Amino acid sequence: MIGVLLILEVIGLVVLGGYEFLQVQWGGIDLKSPQHRAVEVAVFALFVPSAILTLLAALSFLFLHRRGWLLAAIAQGLSLAVCLWLYSWFQPAYVYPIMAYCVLMILYLNSQDVRMVFRPRQGSETSYES
Amino acid sequence: MKAEHLGVQTATALLRRFEPVIRSTTGDRFYPMDVEPYVRACSLWVQRPGEEARCIVPGGELGLDRLAQQPMDEAGAVHFLKFTDAEDLGSDARGGLLRLFRRRAKDRKESKGSFWAGRGRLARVGYFSRFVDALYSIALLARGRVPGESAAAASVAYERIMAEREQYRYHGRVVRQDGWIVLQYWLFYPFNDWRSGFFGANDHEADWEKTFIYLSESESGEVNPEWVAYAAHNYTGDNLRRRWDDPEVEKVGEHPVIYVGAGSHASYFAPGEYLTELTLPLPSPLARMTEAVRTFWKTRLGQYGGEEDGGAGYFSIPFVDYARGDGLSVGEGGDRAWDEPRLITDPPPDWVSGYHGLWGLYARDPFEGEDAPAGPMYNRDKSVSRAWYDPVGWAGLDKVPPPTEALEAILEQRADIISRCEVLRIEIDTKSRQLKKLGAELAAMRDRSHLDAPYEEGTRRVAELSGELDRLRARLATDEAVSESLKEYAERLGAGERDPARAHIVRAHRPASEDELRVSRVAEAWAAVSVSLMLISFVGISLFAREHLISMLVFSIAFFAFAEAGFRGRLVNLVSSANIGLAVVATLIIVYEFFWQLVVAAVLVIGLYVLWDNLRELRR
Repeated sequence: MIGVLLILEVIGLVVLGGYEFLQVQWGGIDLKSPQHRAVEVAVFALFVPSAILTLLAALSFLFLHRRGWLLAAIAQGLSLAVCLWLYSWFQPAYVYPIMAYCVLMILYLNSQDVRMVFRPRQGSETSYES
Repeated sequence: MKAEHLGVQTATALLRRFEPVIRSTTGDRFYPMDVEPYVRACSLWVQRPGEEARCIVPGGELGLDRLAQQPMDEAGAVHFLKFTDAEDLGSDARGGLLRLFRRRAKDRKESKGSFWAGRGRLARVGYFSRFVDALYSIALLARGRVPGESAAAASVAYERIMAEREQYRYHGRVVRQDGWIVLQYWLFYPFNDWRSGFFGANDHEADWEKTFIYLSESESGEVNPEWVAYAAHNYTGDNLRRRWDDPEVEKVGEHPVIYVGAGSHASYFAPGEYLTELTLPLPSPLARMTEAVRTFWKTRLGQYGGEEDGGAGYFSIPFVDYARGDGLSVGEGGDRAWDEPRLITDPPPDWVSGYHGLWGLYARDPFEGEDAPAGPMYNRDKSVSRAWYDPVGWAGLDKVPPPTEALEAILEQRADIISRCEVLRIEIDTKSRQLKKLGAELAAMRDRSHLDAPYEEGTRRVAELSGELDRLRARLATDEAVSESLKEYAERLGAGERDPARAHIVRAHRPASEDELRVSRVAEAWAAVSVSLMLISFVGISLFAREHLISMLVFSIAFFAFAEAGFRGRLVNLVSSANIGLAVVATLIIVYEFFWQLVVAAVLVIGLYVLWDNLRELRR
């Protein structure tokens, strides 16, 4: 289930990125003073690392690797951080659906049931709490 | 639950028969001693609210007999002893401080030759305790004091007492309570130098520690040790005690071995390095708010709230407690033997019951960590301590009958349950007949329109009675199952079987494992430099990247936090906390940007749900 949701997220990012890319006439861009819209679309590239991480996390989930949870959580955190940074600078419209999806994914990944399934085995993560 | 006392000779003989062996850590400077020479070396002071502390009895004039003869207390007054005199060096203060500084440096040097903090201490305790440690030292220096000067002065005073007569003594009290004979070993140390000597949480004058041994007595009068409880910091309850035959309880003959925490004097069953959390209470409004958010987060949102429940009202800072057992040992087979114990008889002597003050310097620490403790009978707030009036309950043993009474307790409880079952059966029988009669009455009234009102009332009474009957039957079934279980338990006990020795332990203190101690050199180096590097990077950012101050600060904090969490194996906790923080901010932004759209969507969803629900009903 989580793996499928993560793959859906990657597909969504690719589709959204592709759509935004096609909205700009790249041929007439003046590189010295690019249009605001073009910059907004160009910075979408910042989502590439989190999309790759999300894909890796999805594959980890599909192959039942315990590390998948951590990868997925880092990917969601990274996506949200990029969204918040972009919001503070450009406020592009595409950040809102990504933000909403990431918030839901974070809540799902942190839900009691999911955490219990994917919590590290005893001894695999060192804890110094007495 | 009155505590009864035994005769002096019997009490002393029992105390000596089971007296513990203490094994300290190399580098420890203070050992259990008699209170008499300590009090003789102290002055007595009183701190009244809003006034400067005033000396009541100067040093050299105090004795155990005069300790309890204090003027009447007024509300808020705190009496305390003062063992060291580093602040009162008069005109020679500068020279005195220098002397103490040199003395401390010497102690440190000697300590370095003997005590070694071990690898990875910094990596294990985390940022907070490293910060707290640094801040405390800076605060002391700002007040013109040398960190550890009190410990150095106490060391001088202690050596003077030991030079007069070397002694290792405990204070013993023997009481009977709830069928147990409780041997209480009260160990008095002149100083707790956990912070200044062993990187711990606090330093304070005087330290009272305790070990209790619980004996059962057979009809022939023979006594057998059953349980032993070691005090560690302020912990109470089941986790403190071990059964006598538990392999964790190391013994020399009939003498249990205590591994004493270096400086803190906390008692442990096994040698090793323990991670101890110092919990600081949050202010009440903040604690209540934290608890409310935590409950909403866990129960309403079904979110993961950590491995352990509780503790939302506290802020914890981890410290290492070294109880290696490689230092001086006192007791049977040890380097030194115990002196004849000082017996605390009944009624207790005046120095125990009449002195309600602190046994060392009152530092007015808001968290009380640096204040000296009160005596064996009292808490710092002058209330009587539980370990004194209820030594059995203090270690969670109040629910455990002594072996000689266990079978009797089980059979009595079973008899109670059987008689309760009889009463329940009669009640069920009566109510069952009543319900049948009511049912017949209802059947007779059905379809009689002039009896609609009593029919409605009868229906309600039938439903109530039926529910009550169901509850009674469920209770009877449970009681019968418990009774059967008690019978089997009694048979097992009768056959000589015992409960698992560690079934009562929920969270035992355990020393750090080899894996935990095997912190890599990179992690250790990181722990040593990270706090300073972080502070330097903050200064660098504020000087050279002021235009990107916020984003650079966020980035650098994130970097240090991730590195720290990675080295300490807490990446999962950090990522999940960071994600929750980001999710909260993102949610607020979405609500801010799309407030009316969200309201409209919510109304639409509710409208569609109502429509769907009504249509579903129509289709039935």
